[in-house]
Amino acid sequence: MPNKIESKTYEPPRMGLFLLQFLIALLFVVFCARYWYLQIHRGEEFARLALENKTKIARVDAARGEIFDVNGVPLAENYITFALAIMREDVQDVNAALAQISEWTNTPYEEVLNIYNKNKVYARSFDPIIINEVSFETIAAIQGQVHLWPGIYVIPKARRHYPQKDLLAHVMGYVAEATQEELKNDERLSLGDIVGRQGLEYVLEDTLRGVKGMDAMEVDVFGRSLHREIINDSSSGQNIYLTIDIELQKNIEQLMQDNAGSVIVMNPDTGAIDALVTLPSYDNNLFVTGFSKKEWDAVRNHPRNPLQNRTIQSVFPPASTWKLVMAGALLEKGVNPKSTVHCSGVFKLGNTQFRCWSKFGHGAVDLKHSLMYSCDVYYYEKSLELGIDYISDFAKKCGFGRRTGIELPHEARGNVPDREWKLKRFKERWQNGDTVNMSIGQGFLLVTPIQLSVYISSLLNGGKLLKPQLVKRVEPEIVGYTPISPEHCKMITDYMFATANEPRGTARVIKTDGVITGGKTGTAQVVKIKMQGDRRVKNYEMDFKQRDHAWFGAYAEKDGRRYVIVTMLEHGGGGSSAAGPVVRDIIKLLFPPENK
Amino acid sequence: MKLFNIPNKKMFLDMNWALFITTLVLFFIGFVNLYSASSIRFEDGIIHTPFYERQLIWGGVGLIILFFVSVINYKVLENFSLPFYLFVLILLILVPVLGKTVYGAQRWLDLGFFSIQPSEFAKFSVLLMGARYLSKDGETLGWIRLAKLMIIGLIPFALIAKQPDLGTALTILFLIGGMALFHGIKWKVLRICLVIIPLLIPLSWFALHDYQQERIKTFLDPTRDPRGAGYHIIQSQIAIGSGELTGKGFQEGTQSQLRFLPEKHTDFAVAVLGEEWGFVGSVSLVVIFCFFLFSIYSTICLAKDRFSSTLCAGIFFYFFWQVMVNTGMVVGLMPVVGIPLPFISYGGTAMLVNCIFIGIVLSVSINRFVFKA
Repeated sequence: MPNKIESKTYEPPRMGLFLLQFLIALLFVVFCARYWYLQIHRGEEFARLALENKTKIARVDAARGEIFDVNGVPLAENYITFALAIMREDVQDVNAALAQISEWTNTPYEEVLNIYNKNKVYARSFDPIIINEVSFETIAAIQGQVHLWPGIYVIPKARRHYPQKDLLAHVMGYVAEATQEELKNDERLSLGDIVGRQGLEYVLEDTLRGVKGMDAMEVDVFGRSLHREIINDSSSGQNIYLTIDIELQKNIEQLMQDNAGSVIVMNPDTGAIDALVTLPSYDNNLFVTGFSKKEWDAVRNHPRNPLQNRTIQSVFPPASTWKLVMAGALLEKGVNPKSTVHCSGVFKLGNTQFRCWSKFGHGAVDLKHSLMYSCDVYYYEKSLELGIDYISDFAKKCGFGRRTGIELPHEARGNVPDREWKLKRFKERWQNGDTVNMSIGQGFLLVTPIQLSVYISSLLNGGKLLKPQLVKRVEPEIVGYTPISPEHCKMITDYMFATANEPRGTARVIKTDGVITGGKTGTAQVVKIKMQGDRRVKNYEMDFKQRDHAWFGAYAEKDGRRYVIVTMLEHGGGGSSAAGPVVRDIIKLLFPPENK
Repeated sequence: MKLFNIPNKKMFLDMNWALFITTLVLFFIGFVNLYSASSIRFEDGIIHTPFYERQLIWGGVGLIILFFVSVINYKVLENFSLPFYLFVLILLILVPVLGKTVYGAQRWLDLGFFSIQPSEFAKFSVLLMGARYLSKDGETLGWIRLAKLMIIGLIPFALIAKQPDLGTALTILFLIGGMALFHGIKWKVLRICLVIIPLLIPLSWFALHDYQQERIKTFLDPTRDPRGAGYHIIQSQIAIGSGELTGKGFQEGTQSQLRFLPEKHTDFAVAVLGEEWGFVGSVSLVVIFCFFLFSIYSTICLAKDRFSSTLCAGIFFYFFWQVMVNTGMVVGLMPVVGIPLPFISYGGTAMLVNCIFIGIVLSVSINRFVFKA
């Protein structure tokens, strides 16, 4: 080789070569160690993070259960409305999208922005942020344009509707959008969901709500969904059938006319409530769609408080209907029902005079006649024999002074006073006068209409205290037993029959051909009996607010079907004269006269 | 002196085949990986952006240049180095005056029909100039010669750092420093340098731009801004780590296909490889790069004159620097600096520059017996 010349003069620097060898070794060691650390040592952890990166969970709404009456008439149903919503993950320019929504819906931009800002805080990823609801007309008008705006969606929203409106508002309650507080506390809720706020909607929330479905989505870095897989199917809430007969409810409401008050129709054997009327009422749909200021003022400033459920939330002195409890107490104490008390129209205790409602007196009365005539003096005298301790204890055992457990929120307890209670409440000792007063259902004693219904039912069913049922169930639920034996129960209901059917019975107004009826009236004084000279001031002569409350506790039975009916008219006047005709007509509704 | 030497059979056999084949292997791996890194998964399937096609074209052009350079008489380069160096300095000075601004930095000169980035030439010119300077004799460097050598590097360094393009500027400093170390520095000078330079590094902090300081802070603690600057670092480590032992499979990497991994076809391409081929693939790539560097090293050992061996050492440092900084960044050992990985990251200019350097090493191996010392 001619051009090959061996050069001996140059040798690469030894240290330099060593440096290069070292750098190659360093590169190998450092990166192999690092890869081992990342991919083997912490590999699983990073694999999990990569999975979390690409997986997002979306929720699928479940329909809320619907509610029907005993015959399948819808009481709460869902209908579909449409709302415009923004999904942040898909939208490119939020402000432009909001401006477009504002234009479509004729809403000022600031308002749209406000709603968005308020809601976005609580929106989880892939929660559409609802901006506002839109009418069908708007949807039709913008239908062609929505798809040009990625990230804006028209989403169907289930709305709650109560076709019976104010007819059953207190029982049904209403729903409202979950508050931000609720969203925080309940993982299952997402933005825009509705939850029960009152009545059965509130109490049965878990049954009605259903379970949301979950979809797992594979998303890219922009959150766009590439693939969707169902993890859990959504399952709608359960439909619920009530014991309420809406037709009966409607007819009773008409009978009540303009009265404020309540009616309970209850099955004494099962506890099923056939009608639960409380007046005045309100349209619960307004709570769903929102009140106008005028509508809200009308409800809030109404003198008779339509929001109050008078069957379970209002407490009244039971007046003479209480004698049904006293009768039980006397019988269980072993008092001979035939023993008589002489009624002269007035009962003297020390210096105090306690009047019978009849100023002429009833003469000699036994237990049966004391109920028939509703003689006060009989109970004045007998109550002192029993003593307050026994009476209070007995009343509590009969279900008074505690909640019946009806499936509605905010039930009142009422009040059964005793020595201890008075000392605590008024810092005064219990007086015999208090006992006398309480014996005819006046004074400190307070009951709810539902308590009285449950008690009268127990007289009919042999002493069982049943939980009032609004939701149809197979088995009645027995809460407890009254201390009254079945024989004595029968005796008292027989006396109620006499009160309604025998001459001079105070409940004769409900006597109905072909139907076994029994009843007890009550007239609860709101103010002390007023006298004008020797004459009692008539009820209709007094101010409305001072007029007596009219009670009527009754039962009716025919062909094995039987009902307890408790009517309470606030400031209605006399139990027999005001509440009586209502009960009589209800019995006619329950047992329509056969046309011959 | 002839510009070209057409190799005869002996010279052909003398060529550093190991380096040539390793380069082809790296290019092939890069191409396959880029095919996957170019793809984006949508709802209805995978869409490829044609980076891998362009890389193939660049590779073809690069190969031609590589052959072209490998037959160049490398002695010519020695004479060519000073005028070329001065020419590059003029271009660098012109950049702030005539250059156009891209991404807030002035790096490009617009020549009407195409744009050039003088800093790319600067690396090459510093290598040549440094090799030329060091080839005079084999004496280890004293203070004065070291200072002169450093000035060769520091002038383009300062001009490029001002653009600002810290990555390239540091590359130049590293190349000149590497060549000095390779050549040898007097022990007492080196001792003092080893004490002073670490002390100077903290001071350089204040010379950095805010965004550069930010990158370093984020490197030290990526969690301080996980959605912003730390995002690259975190997602890159998730991609690599989730590959585990054997990887998720070709085109199955979720981090890259679903675009969680940023810059996946350029600076972070090796993370795609790590995700899809796992520990096995990553370590294989490290081994191949080590072998690649070793091939260059073998030519350095065989070189018959000081200029060519020093030049090849510079080229060794050039590739070593890129592998270290890029992989170091992707695996979270170094701050985010925009330096691509040779043959793996997409990029036409880088491909051409790399091919030129490989060509020079091949030229040295081919021509090593041709000339007198």
